[in-house]
Amino acid sequence: MELHRIGVKWFAEERTPVNLLDLIPIFHRWIQEQALDDLLIDVAEYTHMYRGPGVLVIAHEGNYGYDEAGGERGLVYYSKQNLPEPELAARMVTVACKGLQACARFLGETGLARQVAFPCNRIQVFANDRLRAPNTDTAWAEFEPAVNTLAARLFPDQDRSVQRCNSDSRDRLAAIIHTNKMTEPEALLARLG
Amino acid sequence: MNWNERLAGSIPEAMGREIDQYQQQIELKKQGKVEDKLFQEARLRRGAYGQRYDNGQRHDGIAQRELDYARRNLRKGPDTLWDAPGMQRIKLPFGGISPEQMEVHADLAEEYSDAVCHVTTRQDMQLHYVHIEDTPDLMRRLAAVGITTREACGNSIRNVTACTKAGCCASEVFDVTPYARACAWFLLGHRDTQDFGRKFKIAFSGCQTEACAYTGFHDLGYIAATRPGPDGQPQRGFAVYVGGGLGPVPYQASLLSEFVPEAEMLPIAQAVSRVYARHGEKKNRGRARIKFLVANWGIEKFRAEVEAERQKMPHEEAWTSWIEEVAAWREMPLREGQALPQDAGDTVFRAWRAANVQAQRQKGYAMATIKLPLGDISSWQLRQLADISRRLNGGHARTTIEQNILLRWVAEADLPELFSELQRIGLADADAKTIADVVACPGTDTCKLGIANSRGLAATLSEIYRDKAHTLDPAIRDLRIHISGCFNSCSQHQIADIGFYGVSRKVGNAMVPHFRVVMGAHRDHNAREFGQTFGPVPSKRIPDFIERVTGLYLAERRADEGFSDFIQRLGKKGIKPLLDELGRIPPRVLDRTLYTDWRDPREFSVSDIGTGECAGAVISTTEFDLQAAEQLHFEAQVHLDDGDYRKADDTAYAAMVLAAKGLVYSEFPDVRDNPDAVVTAFRERFHDTGRFLAANAPTRFAEYLFRRHEDRERNYSVDAARRLLEETQHFVEAAYACYVRMSEQQAKKAARTQQAPALAEDA
Repeated sequence: MELHRIGVKWFAEERTPVNLLDLIPIFHRWIQEQALDDLLIDVAEYTHMYRGPGVLVIAHEGNYGYDEAGGERGLVYYSKQNLPEPELAARMVTVACKGLQACARFLGETGLARQVAFPCNRIQVFANDRLRAPNTDTAWAEFEPAVNTLAARLFPDQDRSVQRCNSDSRDRLAAIIHTNKMTEPEALLARLG
Repeated sequence: MNWNERLAGSIPEAMGREIDQYQQQIELKKQGKVEDKLFQEARLRRGAYGQRYDNGQRHDGIAQRELDYARRNLRKGPDTLWDAPGMQRIKLPFGGISPEQMEVHADLAEEYSDAVCHVTTRQDMQLHYVHIEDTPDLMRRLAAVGITTREACGNSIRNVTACTKAGCCASEVFDVTPYARACAWFLLGHRDTQDFGRKFKIAFSGCQTEACAYTGFHDLGYIAATRPGPDGQPQRGFAVYVGGGLGPVPYQASLLSEFVPEAEMLPIAQAVSRVYARHGEKKNRGRARIKFLVANWGIEKFRAEVEAERQKMPHEEAWTSWIEEVAAWREMPLREGQALPQDAGDTVFRAWRAANVQAQRQKGYAMATIKLPLGDISSWQLRQLADISRRLNGGHARTTIEQNILLRWVAEADLPELFSELQRIGLADADAKTIADVVACPGTDTCKLGIANSRGLAATLSEIYRDKAHTLDPAIRDLRIHISGCFNSCSQHQIADIGFYGVSRKVGNAMVPHFRVVMGAHRDHNAREFGQTFGPVPSKRIPDFIERVTGLYLAERRADEGFSDFIQRLGKKGIKPLLDELGRIPPRVLDRTLYTDWRDPREFSVSDIGTGECAGAVISTTEFDLQAAEQLHFEAQVHLDDGDYRKADDTAYAAMVLAAKGLVYSEFPDVRDNPDAVVTAFRERFHDTGRFLAANAPTRFAEYLFRRHEDRERNYSVDAARRLLEETQHFVEAAYACYVRMSEQQAKKAARTQQAPALAEDA
């Protein structure tokens, strides 16, 4: 599957509700410090929207956001440009790594670490390209093995499952990886190497 | 598989071909074969617009930094980097959007943008942060559901807007929808609308009195009217207005004609376009809108020119072929109209109904406004709305110039279910058309010209008033706030009750974001009076200003005195003390708050302002034709490489005819669009006069065209096609050279004309 536009969302657990507006100065600082590997361009703010993209860091290679899609907050990263890895599973790992780096950075922010955790026991992986990966059974048959590979890399010695999200055929092809154990983003990053 | 293959059969042929050509231009640009300026105008005419920071520079709050794109030398316009994200504008004539179109927008926003669709004040949809190389597929997917982005930007006819209530409104003369649609499609890509010096905006209104379509500030405005026809029956037509506009200095449109019968609606638009294309300013971009031409000439002279032009225009079938569609135009309601008692539902529902719902002219039906915060709707919401609209109102929706969506033909009995569904998807705010329903342009969020953060301020004001709008005195509750990030009026701040536009002020060594206040407008009668500009207020003090000025109004208004009348009575003197008080700014060391903008922690700076693309570049039709001819030559080469020599031959021939047509058109715009007419005119005007001849363009280059044109019984072969391709290349090159010579001669002539009076003065 020649899929390059891939997204991964790391669901958040908020001990106390995060005021999304507080993320704006933090994300601007990330740009000042070029805190992530991508070319960070600007901050986009959609806090006025219901279950919207929240606050985003727009980058050239992909977008990072603390979003509210589906009524669940989490840190999402989705790639927008072609990725160099030849295999889909490897591209998925790259995208997951970028998201995890952002999660780790997020938790490194004073204040946010007290409010938010990324338990990483439930992760959404989606294909952001309806041409190369439509939400069909055929595409799922190609997509699922790569998700399984990612799940195995993330949680090698844990019970885990991969489930297709298919409540609306118009949605993007997506999967949820479940595991029964919570793990820190830094630890998962180390596993992905 | 690509989108072209996936959508085979769904994309109208002409649209598909245009998009293929646009994609080829992208490829040619990447190969360095197209000039920056030409590509810029070409993409603008496809609605692909620049966005803030696309020159590769951004002030991050500490310093101006370079955005280090890998392909820094590749550009999509002068000072516009290829890889920088851009905005895609999508035209929705009269704001019409079907459920299927909503779903496509939702998909595109997810895959190419940031999962948000933004409704504009001209009923367009906009997607931000789009990469230029994604735009052809984005356009194909829209074309497959009947939407074009062609001429959404650039010096062209922009989206044709109309009253959102058209067809359902009690005060309209007749439904202007089919007329707006016919006008949009007739003028789209029309030869006579390709040579404008600036953009051109058209609006249709169903009546003279309401505040819906605002023909008063459009380049061309049609207001529905009837008069007795020869048979005594009412004959449909329009009062036509021309030369209105907002921008830094607003102009009221002038009456061009009290009544133009419907059959003359399109010819008049065409005649106005021709006059504007010929006589409108092209060099001074700040004076190039048609409003300046009308103001300079006066309406009488302008009218005379239009009438003279109208007499000269060769007949077109398309002028009237659409009229029979008007009678057939009908929006079919999904179910029978059914009334709902006024006291139905709980208080929350009743509040929503009071603010957001209006009864239709048709008994038992209602129109429901879905308030979109800042004009934004997410992909998920749009998909859900598509379902709701299919199920409850037959899919009849329109985007509004207040940046909302209107669902029409809802049976009143279905309103409770609609409300409940809108609550589920977070779109049931009960304050449409109130002080909380703030209109704002993108401002510094994404616009290259933005000075201050209009969206940040709008979001803040919406939050302040969302919960308390219903507790306010109705005279305050129903005020409308519009906010533009700069003086260019994209939020239409001159027709707000309280309007603002962004400016900056220097205090000490630092900059402070401000908004200039505009008040006193009357929106009725299609925006009969624009607001006056008052002084600037620091951005962070705008909420205080609104509280104070509305408080003043409540305290000092006369009986039945509206807000705008009160402001006019108070005048600039009356408002000045308040502005002076709020305008005092403490030094930064004492309070930094005022030195940053809303929802942006960076120290305020104007260094990110770029070169706007609203004006685009003036590229003549001839230049476009020559460029297209070159592209056809390229296509012919591809056909030959694919072994289709017959197609290669015909395409090369078409390229020569197009290049010849470009030259002919530059001085004979009425040339008929067929090869015989073009070749004859080219022979007379360019070959026989020796004008096509140049040192490096021997006369045989013209003969390449004549020979191929006269070869009616052509013997197609690979060799013949190959030779013709070579000849075509020479011919197109020679046409370019000829055009350059003509332009130089014209420039010299213009310089001589300018020098002559100066010399006379010296003497």
